[in-house]
Amino acid sequence: MLKSKITLKNVSLNYSDQNNSFCAIKEISFSIKKGEFVSIIGPSGCGKSTLLSLLTGLNFPTDGYILIDGEQIQGTGTERGVVFQHYSLFPWMSAQKNLIFGLKQLHRKKSKKELEEIADKYLSMVGLKDFKNKYPSQLSGGMQQRVAIARAFAMNPGILLMDEPFGAVDAKNRVILQELLLNLWNNGNERKTIILVTHDIDEAILLSDRIIVMSASPGTVKEEINIDFERPRERSLLIKSEKYAKLRNKLVNLFYDDLIEKIGGAEVVI
Amino acid sequence: MKKILSATNVLFLLALLLELIPSKREGIEPLYYIAVVLFLGLFYILNAVFTKDKEKVETIGDVTAIILSLLIVWELATAKFDLLEKFLFPAPSVVFSLFISEWKELLKGFISSIQLLFGGYVLALLAAIPLALFIGWRKRLYRAVKPLTKVLGPIPTIVYIPYAIALLPTFKASSIFIIFIGAFWPIFINTLNGVFNVEKRIVDSAKAINVNERSMLFNVILPAAMPSIISGATIGLVLSFILLTAAEMIGATSGLGWYVKYFSDFADYPRVIVGIIFIGFVVSVITFLFDKIEGYLLRWRS
Repeated sequence: MLKSKITLKNVSLNYSDQNNSFCAIKEISFSIKKGEFVSIIGPSGCGKSTLLSLLTGLNFPTDGYILIDGEQIQGTGTERGVVFQHYSLFPWMSAQKNLIFGLKQLHRKKSKKELEEIADKYLSMVGLKDFKNKYPSQLSGGMQQRVAIARAFAMNPGILLMDEPFGAVDAKNRVILQELLLNLWNNGNERKTIILVTHDIDEAILLSDRIIVMSASPGTVKEEINIDFERPRERSLLIKSEKYAKLRNKLVNLFYDDLIEKIGGAEVVI
Repeated sequence: MKKILSATNVLFLLALLLELIPSKREGIEPLYYIAVVLFLGLFYILNAVFTKDKEKVETIGDVTAIILSLLIVWELATAKFDLLEKFLFPAPSVVFSLFISEWKELLKGFISSIQLLFGGYVLALLAAIPLALFIGWRKRLYRAVKPLTKVLGPIPTIVYIPYAIALLPTFKASSIFIIFIGAFWPIFINTLNGVFNVEKRIVDSAKAINVNERSMLFNVILPAAMPSIISGATIGLVLSFILLTAAEMIGATSGLGWYVKYFSDFADYPRVIVGIIFIGFVVSVITFLFDKIEGYLLRWRS
């Protein structure tokens, strides 16, 4: 059996104060192979971002465990890179300084010049070398995410965790960023393991090897679906194919099942 | 060029033509008044020539116009028509001439005041910022200290003055202490809140790239809290000015506050006015420099 890169076994997380206990995610188990691209989709409140924060090491499960390369997570680590929807970058640092600051945490001994060279290399990979001295506030949302992706790849982590990274980007830039992400993923000597949290079904199908569908209250895995379209995937051809339509329908149904159940019940989630 | 008849130009000419009217008051040397008017005119013209920004030129022109109007009213009401009490309202030329003859005294007062001001203020910055950074970052300590700041912070610093004088050996030490206390609280409280309220996302983002504790405090929390720190520092600076002059008027033998108090005891109002104008000038220069520093530190904000 191929050893998995990431393993979750009966992972649960309860938030509790004096009176209430709230179960954010419940008994989640799955494993991810090295170099696999996995998307997690589900309605809002299904705990997909919570799950990602557990994988990042910002939170710890109340039950079960998460193994990375066979070892339990002790906290955050540079072998895992993270891209959030907002505020991945530090607003008081220029694009280049943001990359250098990240790299510094990794290579304490490298000279300033060496770090600048690495930073510039990755900024040109995302097409932003000319913007290296700009502050995040001077860049568009899409550009900020490109810098965040450049920083994540520059730190060369084995695992990349992405929490709705393109959620705040307009449709056109979203496509550009998705292609950029795929290129970076394919370019390296060794494919990174990527976990992408998204609520965009098309994004999940186009990018992933596998989609994990979650349902809400408590957040748990509803279904796992393998996406076996050959890579590289041609977006325009793919979306016309029957197989794609079927797959998409299935996912939409899974996605809205949950919502309909909810609307039928006491709680309404938009 | 077609705006030859702008308000500023008309007022400028008016201010000069005024001197054709004979003075009612005796012993007025109008040279100083004319020099100031000409200086204002020169300043205005140089700005109009060298500043590219049209709106800025316009604003400077308007400001010059207001200053010229005030000067004209002042000159007319005193030197020219003697409408006001001579004793309390000296003519512009009398005041301006004192700036020349008194410059050594003013400089001495300035140096003395600035030492107290910066002594107390810089000490407050150095104590309040690191302390608040350290406390704000530790949630439990923050919750313990927060109620204390609510009690100690609002005590008006002036009430410490008699105690400070009794406590410390020299006037200089007690003034620095008072300014320190006055500036400390706003800087401390604002930094504390700024640190406590740093976006969780920013902290998470820093944790995700594995920054160490030191780097977290100085490279992440400190700059993230900088807008709050700056607003605290601004309030602290304003309070420092007030406390400085108050302390100097109470117990000093030098300094700008003392200068004003000393001459008002002799009913020498021209010198009192000179002192007040000079203090205004010093405060605006310091505020200007402070704004420059603020602009630099927060240059990353859109």
